[in-house]
Amino acid sequence: MTKDELKAYIASRYSDKLTPLDLGRYDLLYAADAATFKDLALALRDDAELKFDYLLNLGGIDTKDHFEIIYNLGSIAKNHRIDIKLSLPYENAEVDSVQEIWPGANWFEREMWELYGINVRGHGNLKRFLLPDDWNQGHPMRKNWTAPDFIKLPETNV
Amino acid sequence: MGVIKQLPVYAEKVPGGAIVATSLESILHHSQACSLWYLLFGTACCAIELMATGASRYDFDRLGMIFRASPRQSDLIIAAGTITKKMAPRLRKLYDQMAEPRYVIAMGGCTVKGGPFYYDSYAVEKGIDHIVPVDVYIPGCPPRPESLLEGCLTLQKKIKAQKLADWQK
Repeated sequence: MTKDELKAYIASRYSDKLTPLDLGRYDLLYAADAATFKDLALALRDDAELKFDYLLNLGGIDTKDHFEIIYNLGSIAKNHRIDIKLSLPYENAEVDSVQEIWPGANWFEREMWELYGINVRGHGNLKRFLLPDDWNQGHPMRKNWTAPDFIKLPETNV
Repeated sequence: MGVIKQLPVYAEKVPGGAIVATSLESILHHSQACSLWYLLFGTACCAIELMATGASRYDFDRLGMIFRASPRQSDLIIAAGTITKKMAPRLRKLYDQMAEPRYVIAMGGCTVKGGPFYYDSYAVEKGIDHIVPVDVYIPGCPPRPESLLEGCLTLQKKIKAQKLADWQK
């Protein structure tokens, strides 16, 4: 499906759940509600026209105000992609696991939990695998985080 | 090495034994310096330069340096590349598994002082001298093979300048 066809199809079927965000030249980007995302994800995967059968990547952003999670979805069968962005509050951030829909989400979610401290409901195996096993210094990808041996980059005028 | 280390101590006590002891010292340290087998410990881009040094153009073998894949057979670790905090215990374990005398070369900015990860990094160890004692530091990002060869020659000089008396410690 081309980008325009995809845009039109999503606007006709999922306009109530996916709000388009404009980023210009990149893949189509939509905002979705975090509480109902799991149902939506299942619907997107099982839709005969969309067939998002592949989770390319799962990334987090700390905006200092709230967390954003971006799911990059792809379809191998149909050869198209979209990105979906969820917003989570800074305190007690929680999101549903999408492992049952895309099994590859397992490690992405563990990484997200480890580096951002976003709890993943229904994951079942939230253990460290990037940081040292005895790590107890918090979540290093948060903007307000500092390590004991952290040296700030000096300010430059460039 | 135990017997050879003790031999000069007794040899020095007999008349004319000092000559034997001195010659033995020079032979021992010369042979040590000229057969430094190194443990491959390439963790990042410095390992590419290490490979280039080992290949035919720069020819590491002419210094008697042959890579070993086991710490039990090596005299030297060339730590080539970024050492993360998660990697640090493994480096220490490999160092501990080596037989004495053992030497360490810190190759590249990352192993010397954290390199480009010196600022703002939660994952990188800022210098491997926090983990193992280092004999020669080679700065560079990554150092050219010439620098590595220079570092190895410096280590050879250091080994040849050792005294047997130091061994008794």
